[in-house]
Amino acid sequence: MRETLLDVFTAVDADYADIRYEENKKTVISYEGRELRKIASYTTSGGHLRAYADGGKAISSFTDLKRAGSIAQASIASAKLIAKHRDKQLQLADAPVVTGTFLLSPKKDPRTLSLKEKKELLAHYNTIILAEPKVITTVCEYDEFYSHRTFVNTDGTAVEYELLIVNIAGLIVVKEADLVQQVRFAFGGNDDYSKLLNREEDLEKRIARACELLGAEPAKAGVYPVVLDPDEASVFIHEAFGHLSEADGLQNNPSFREKLQMGTVLGNPVLNVSDDPHLLDYPGGYLIDDEGVRGCRTRLIKEGVLTGRLHSRETAAEFGEPLSGNMRAVDAHFTPIIRMSNIFIDPGESSFEEMVASIDDGYYLVGAKGGQTSGDQFSFGAQWGYRIVNGRLGSMVRDINMSGELFSTLQAITMVGNDLLFSERGGCGKGGGGPMQLNRKSGKGAPHIKVDTVTIGGTE
Amino acid sequence: MTDLIKLATSQVDQAELYWHREHKIDVRYENYTLQRISENDLSSAALRVIDKRRIGLSCGIAPDRAEFLEEAKAAAQYGGKAGFSFSTTRKFPIVTAYDDNTAAQTSQELVLLCEAVKERIARARPDIALLIQCQASTEQITVETTDGAFGDHRFTKLALSFGAPIKGAGIGVYKHKTSISPFGAPEELVEEFLEWYGWTEQASTPRTGRLPVILAPEASLLLTLPLCAGLSGEAIVKKTSPLTKRVGETILSDKLTIIDDLLRPGDPQSRPFDDEGVPCQTLVLVENGLLRTYLLDLHSAAKLKKASTGNGFKRSLFASGTEVPPRPWPGHLVIKPGQTPYREMIAALEEGILLTGGMGFHSGNYTQGVFAVQALGFHIVDGKVRGRLDRTMVAGTIYQDLLDIRALSKEQRESPGGLAPYILVDSLQVAGARKR
Repeated sequence: MRETLLDVFTAVDADYADIRYEENKKTVISYEGRELRKIASYTTSGGHLRAYADGGKAISSFTDLKRAGSIAQASIASAKLIAKHRDKQLQLADAPVVTGTFLLSPKKDPRTLSLKEKKELLAHYNTIILAEPKVITTVCEYDEFYSHRTFVNTDGTAVEYELLIVNIAGLIVVKEADLVQQVRFAFGGNDDYSKLLNREEDLEKRIARACELLGAEPAKAGVYPVVLDPDEASVFIHEAFGHLSEADGLQNNPSFREKLQMGTVLGNPVLNVSDDPHLLDYPGGYLIDDEGVRGCRTRLIKEGVLTGRLHSRETAAEFGEPLSGNMRAVDAHFTPIIRMSNIFIDPGESSFEEMVASIDDGYYLVGAKGGQTSGDQFSFGAQWGYRIVNGRLGSMVRDINMSGELFSTLQAITMVGNDLLFSERGGCGKGGGGPMQLNRKSGKGAPHIKVDTVTIGGTE
Repeated sequence: MTDLIKLATSQVDQAELYWHREHKIDVRYENYTLQRISENDLSSAALRVIDKRRIGLSCGIAPDRAEFLEEAKAAAQYGGKAGFSFSTTRKFPIVTAYDDNTAAQTSQELVLLCEAVKERIARARPDIALLIQCQASTEQITVETTDGAFGDHRFTKLALSFGAPIKGAGIGVYKHKTSISPFGAPEELVEEFLEWYGWTEQASTPRTGRLPVILAPEASLLLTLPLCAGLSGEAIVKKTSPLTKRVGETILSDKLTIIDDLLRPGDPQSRPFDDEGVPCQTLVLVENGLLRTYLLDLHSAAKLKKASTGNGFKRSLFASGTEVPPRPWPGHLVIKPGQTPYREMIAALEEGILLTGGMGFHSGNYTQGVFAVQALGFHIVDGKVRGRLDRTMVAGTIYQDLLDIRALSKEQRESPGGLAPYILVDSLQVAGARKR
């Protein structure tokens, strides 16, 4: 394949070009309640080409490899058209030429197991959930994604590499009278099938939480101090700060570039944040990105001070900062964009009990329930929570959404726990100027943290 | 008949092929500068088979892939019980959604449209980081079954978006226009953008408490997302919907009539058939506040012993595309307009909110009609816009709070997934300035 792709470049008049070709295999099995709604195992393929010419850039996705040559020519023409409309040429930072093959060796490889075996494991967990009388339905999904990618560029980089991630995840939906509540669960998050096995006890705990939620009161609207559990804190750092550490979001946004210069004090000295694709046990792990650059750990915040940023070759050149190896595409339909790998808040020194004891009137919020960010504004939900009154955990609360502004909220993080935990399921949606890319291979971790001020929405 | 369907006829009880082809050119400006041109030429296909009453799915890039049928058969071997049959229909409503001029658009022509928008806005606001995106696409969807259904639909779309982040804040003001045919710089939309952007110069936080809220068309998701989750035949089958057994009852204000109109001439969202080859229609979902019907695909219709409403689409809130199995989902939601000019709505408010968007729609208990979002929009005081909302959340339950609607605007604009007027809601719970 490498030779086939390199042939495309023979008649190319470009400053730089690259092609990524993929063969992807997916297995998806899904129960909804007692019903098996989806079972599929299939293969897709396709390519993506990027061309830089005269300081302009054009990209193209295609499914017919035979057309790659003509697509390359059309892309170069488009890149030259762009160049005519630009005062400043786009440039790429120099990157080491990489050649070789980067293959995975999972402890228990899901690709070697039968569809029947995977279905039976999923059915087993689904049956456990359905045994609880308050459960009215479930979503129980097995998701396995394998990608074999070949990447070549005109600099001489030519690599083959693999991605593999397997998960079981879903929803437990319970009902009492007219009240319906749901709690999420997820196992897995890397290439090892054995992480999906023997998780009955974890599932039982989640079922119990869902049932407890039926007796919880809605959160009350207002501004409060909160303690976030590791899952919720990791969503906060991913959504609120992580996306602003992706340089493509700042590249053409002058006011944010100004606000996020290296050395800016963003938080208290207790706050340290890193991104690390080499943590291969977690969902965002990989060895090489989709721009042919090796991934590396980036210290984003050190003792409250901005010290690093996530880059493509293009943004690294523009910002004059080091490469980080964070350019990734979900599949061949998409161009690579800058994505967090495994972002996490480094552990601090506080205990959970100390954080709760420091709050007179607030909330303890548990379990991520999705989030959204726009620049420095963020909003995300919690699966459940507890009132904190006079330094003690109180009654359970439900229907919790919080929002805020990044810079003031980072400053409001005053305690960081000593109990770093990574979520087993990642996932992140980002458009990056193109269609939304939902990336399975995005990890996040955090210890418990205390935030002094958060706005909580509620119906009362 | 494609070779794949011919082959499937002799090997499985039923088969359904969905084949999507797309050619798209996309031009993007950032901070007034042409940043990127992309051109995609993609094909994808999905094959569902029912064999021995069990269903399986396979996907690929085109129907001619050798393993296609074998993979679907293997999946069906362990698959769930089908409970329904694939479509048999070959006759569909006539829908006009294709324009040769859009299909022939070049990247140069899209650049010219963007340049016209850029020059117009640059004259008024050279100080902002203007973003423009323009896409011209031609798509073709073919659905064919072993039971005789065959549908082939080609449509074009020209989509223009422009806007800018607010200086010093993460959010921005953005405007959108779509059509099946080429158009010039949309002057009215540019004017509205400039007015709204001007309103963002000041930040303002309303008091915590119940306040009247005007939902702009851009924020209609606050209503339509929970509503569609509740109207989904799947939620009715699972009994998780708060609208179960409520057809004929009042669920929203009597001022609201909501239609899923997939047959609007000249609309890129219009479709003669859904992704299961079932004819689409103009479907009244809510009429003067009364619930009229649910959204049904083949699966949920069979469970409820009804006919599909032609709403089996390969999309949902979190996913879309060929690999996604069809689910009940609206195609083009139209909220009927009222009589009130929207500026009169603003002028009538002592204190209130003009909500133009929200963050976190999906993180609340939206399937039950509950929302709690970070409010994007404007704070209104004494009938005038005081500034953009800052540190504000809006929360409620559509089946309670949207029973009381004061007025609908006479203006009807593009909204996420359809058309909507401005909707003046009597009051919603607002979390703003500290009140404790």
